[in-house]
Amino acid sequence: MIQADRVSFHYLHADHGLPETSLRVQAGEKWLVSGASGCGKSTLARCLSGLIPHLYRGLLSGEVILNGFLTTETPMWKLAEQAGMLFQNPSAQLLAATVEEEIVFGLEQLGCERAEISKRVAAAMHSFHLEEFRNRAPQTLSDGEKQKLALAAVMARDPKVLILDEPLSMLDITAEQELIQELERASGEGTAAIIFEHRETQLRLLENLNRIELNGNSPPQHTLAPCPSWTPIPPFELRLRNLGVTLGGKRVLDQLDVDFHGGEIVAIVGRNGAGKTTLLRSLAGLQKHDGALNLQGDGEPLQLGLVFQNPDLQLFNASVREEILFHIEQPDPDYYQWLLDVLGLTRYDQAQPLLLSEGEKKRLGLGTVLMRRPRHGILLDEPSLGQDEAHKKTLMDLMQHVAHLGRLVVVTTHDLELARQADRVILLGAEGIAGDGPAAEIFARQDLWKSIGLKRTQEGPLAGLPPTEGK
Amino acid sequence: MIRLGTRRSGRVAFISDSPFRRVDPRTKLLLSLGASLAIMYPLQKLMIFMLIYAIFLAWGHLLIEAGRQVWRLKWVLLVLFCIDWWVVGPDLAVSVVLRLIFLAGAFAFFFSTTTTTELRLALEWLRVPYRYAFSISLAFQSVGYLEEQWQMILEAQQSRGAWSPDGSRTNILRRVREMVALTVPAIVLTTKRAWAVTEAAYARGFDSPHYRPYQALKMSRLDLILLALMGFIGAGLVLWKGFIF
Repeated sequence: MIQADRVSFHYLHADHGLPETSLRVQAGEKWLVSGASGCGKSTLARCLSGLIPHLYRGLLSGEVILNGFLTTETPMWKLAEQAGMLFQNPSAQLLAATVEEEIVFGLEQLGCERAEISKRVAAAMHSFHLEEFRNRAPQTLSDGEKQKLALAAVMARDPKVLILDEPLSMLDITAEQELIQELERASGEGTAAIIFEHRETQLRLLENLNRIELNGNSPPQHTLAPCPSWTPIPPFELRLRNLGVTLGGKRVLDQLDVDFHGGEIVAIVGRNGAGKTTLLRSLAGLQKHDGALNLQGDGEPLQLGLVFQNPDLQLFNASVREEILFHIEQPDPDYYQWLLDVLGLTRYDQAQPLLLSEGEKKRLGLGTVLMRRPRHGILLDEPSLGQDEAHKKTLMDLMQHVAHLGRLVVVTTHDLELARQADRVILLGAEGIAGDGPAAEIFARQDLWKSIGLKRTQEGPLAGLPPTEGK
Repeated sequence: MIRLGTRRSGRVAFISDSPFRRVDPRTKLLLSLGASLAIMYPLQKLMIFMLIYAIFLAWGHLLIEAGRQVWRLKWVLLVLFCIDWWVVGPDLAVSVVLRLIFLAGAFAFFFSTTTTTELRLALEWLRVPYRYAFSISLAFQSVGYLEEQWQMILEAQQSRGAWSPDGSRTNILRRVREMVALTVPAIVLTTKRAWAVTEAAYARGFDSPHYRPYQALKMSRLDLILLALMGFIGAGLVLWKGFIF
């Protein structure tokens, strides 16, 4: 079905690409391609789908045969009939005016009859629970919903090979399980699936999953040096009372009552579209809201630094140094150096931020916020996205450092491995907070997870994870 | 939809309850173009026509939307008004601004009730090749996306202290740096979006010779009535003594 023989690719004007790799995938097989950040997973995905060499310029060697078609000699539209590809960033790849039209687009290119298109659109919407969004603009969906839509658009074309680049990155565990069911169904019908993913947790549920690991440069594991101190602040409490947010006429958050304390790491977990990011934006003072947000115990105004999901929103300076030190008066050189070391960016001190890998950019985005030493703590929106295990561990260590300084750390995540390491977990559902307590306690309460629509599998919501250790 | 709203702003993305939703986009385009010819009227007759057109928009539940589109031009209109008044006089200032207001309102009718897919089909009907028609419709559609990204850039830079909503308190040099902080990410994200969409489109078979549109444009009785009405009004305008002068 797919035969890649000694394929390698080097992008023009870039020092990264794909080292020589071979892969042979038969009909109905499922493959997991893993590897550290920047090891070339996305490049391999592009080589297999034919986007390399059709859309990218660079040095390609070896060959890829996709269902009998040599990718270098076959037009892209014909390759697209064989393989469906899902990209990392669902937000940027949606190109139609409505959810329905997004799915229709690919079917129009196949030349399907109108009745056939209607049938396939209905089936795809049903499989991914998108019926209620049929006439919505894709850009108004949450990131997780966009991911589901992008998947639905790919699967509706009924390709013989599915090439999925980080398909789980934005999905909650219920949506992950639904995707896995879809993959099993497609596999049963002879469709091969190649999944490029950092998060293996739920993928372990796939039957007969084959694996290939690409070699990459993982950061060395080391214990963090003590952090140069931040200004001590008194213990504080942040009280949210009757917090509510309305977006586009829809009540996203309603009458939320919750307390946060300095020195704790709080993970907010919930279904796609539950309002997790909106809650973070409210805490950061970027979102208009009803209700009260009161800081107790510290007389200074509330100051929380928000680290956004997409680092490209923030980076604009000529070097990493300038980026981190931007608008910092009298920067502390020791602290700056400590940050670079912790974030694994030491060798990029003078590098152009926009040329870093996505994972590195994300860590740089965190660095720009931490350098400002926000008085009351940091808020992180899906920080583990695109990070390999080693970098996730570094991230967790860093969050613990900040919490030990008496600051608050609030993180929204679908990554349950990350969430279970927090001090406290808040389960956010459509009806508000469904569960709030120590991580071990919340993870033990299957009923709470079920109440917000996070499906229970045979092994529970943490299927595939090692047993929970008490914190 | 051509004018896409954003989730954050909470604006209505699309006027779905307007009777003009059922009208063929080709008819709507012709009506908008036809109506826009009225700017050649002398001022008094233009005002009468504007009143009739406003009633027409109100019937189509589009008056508020047309008002919004005009409101977006408020600063341009204000500057033009002041310049015209200063250079020539109040008569010209009123005349120019009223014509621009009418022009903006005239196209609200088309842009608020036409999806980008309908626009693409209308362009294809005008014999614009599919790949160009698709690109044009995608460009219109991306306005909403870019607007949302811009808002997110503002928030992201505000969050790290690289931009302040209260610009009056900062000096000019700092303000320039803040503009760089906003502009560079905007360019990067726009370029990335363009590339990502290109990849996504080609990965889903864009430019396939098998392409067959799902939707088809179809004229209904309402279209014929509106076109006939337009022809009637057009003829009336031409015959109306002193149409242009």
